[in-house]
Amino acid sequence: MPGIDQVLARAMGIPGVLGAGLIDWASGLTLGTAGQAPHGDHDAAAADTAEVVQAVARNATFDTAAGEGPPLEDLIITAARSYHLIRFVPTAFDSQTFLYLWLDRAQANLAIARLRLRDLAAELVTG
Amino acid sequence: MAPPLPPRSAVSGDDGGSGLLGRYAAERATGTLRGPNGCVYLSEGAVYCVECPAVPGPDARLTAAGRLSAPSRQRAAEAAGPQRRGGRFLVEQGWLTQGELEICQLGALLDAAFFVLPLAPGSTTFTPGEVHWLGVVRSVSAAALQEATARRRALLDRLRPWAAVDQAPVVPVDPVASEGWGRSRGPGGSQGSTGAVRPAVTGRQRRLLEHADGRRTPYELAHALGQSAYLTLLDVRGLAAAGLVRLPAAPAALPRRRPGASGADRRTAAPDSAPRWHLPDPGVLETADPDIALLARLRTALEENL
Repeated sequence: MPGIDQVLARAMGIPGVLGAGLIDWASGLTLGTAGQAPHGDHDAAAADTAEVVQAVARNATFDTAAGEGPPLEDLIITAARSYHLIRFVPTAFDSQTFLYLWLDRAQANLAIARLRLRDLAAELVTG
Repeated sequence: MAPPLPPRSAVSGDDGGSGLLGRYAAERATGTLRGPNGCVYLSEGAVYCVECPAVPGPDARLTAAGRLSAPSRQRAAEAAGPQRRGGRFLVEQGWLTQGELEICQLGALLDAAFFVLPLAPGSTTFTPGEVHWLGVVRSVSAAALQEATARRRALLDRLRPWAAVDQAPVVPVDPVASEGWGRSRGPGGSQGSTGAVRPAVTGRQRRLLEHADGRRTPYELAHALGQSAYLTLLDVRGLAAAGLVRLPAAPAALPRRRPGASGADRRTAAPDSAPRWHLPDPGVLETADPDIALLARLRTALEENL
């Protein structure tokens, strides 16, 4: 029965991963971390990724699910040397958390990382 | 009752935080800080639970989502025992995953902290050793919690002109009655006969509009839906800014000048001979343009103070 720390430890097993975190997007608060963060600052990474998520979560353009299931699944930022992967945690109850994965672009496979992170987010709330 | 407070210089620790909470955190206190708006639970200086009557707690969120029945919640509270391990019991029974418990508890903590912090020194009491029945599931440093609350405050303050909706019943603007939006939605899209498009809403906002019965305030809606009170405020202010929720009439707290109130003939003037003051047409407040809505409220307030 995994908790936040166990899921983040498993995320560190994804090929090419540099660091992982669980973050509250309404405040940018770090709820858990593993590995490294860009510029060595997990808290800054949490606050910055939360700003990205807020911009998406508050705008109806990105919410076309019409109430059928969770409106948002993941956000992907491809940068010069890394991938930044954000996955919303699909809780049955109201929550504002996402998993964040920082990947080395030379080592990672974006498609595999995305699927692994999707499964980990589901494991967090279904065991 | 309260332990002697550490000198202010001791507050500058890495995870100490500021203010009253920071001082107890720096002292690595265990117990509760009960302020005017709610209660902060500390374990060795770290915050592991915050309760606020205006905010649904973790159990209310789980119950509203159908994730935990009321009898199960009751059994867990009874089984918590003196060690206060209600949270562990919920997971051991297989009613929740550890991840669900942690995320729900942290979400409720952050939500309540927004309304409870900062604690007012004059009206806050410390009860050493008092613990929450869920137990310490996960904790947050006082400083990180204060920073998170400040960021939430900044986010909500961006919609400050619509703060009047915070305490008032949420009244959706009738899409048919309000001018400007399309009266009918043709098969080709949401473009109406007037040419204006009703602003689209997010799933969260749509759910709020569906449950807004014109009587319940944002806080009451948050309780009814078992969802974050902070995000409910954010969403309702956003709806007001988009012209989809009615702004309440000018706040009653503004002092009103009564015509003739300062005149010497105040006692002799017949009530119906006093000049009548016209409040603006309430329909004006339903305008779609947030800037006009704000100006209308300002005008109302100014006219009342003439």
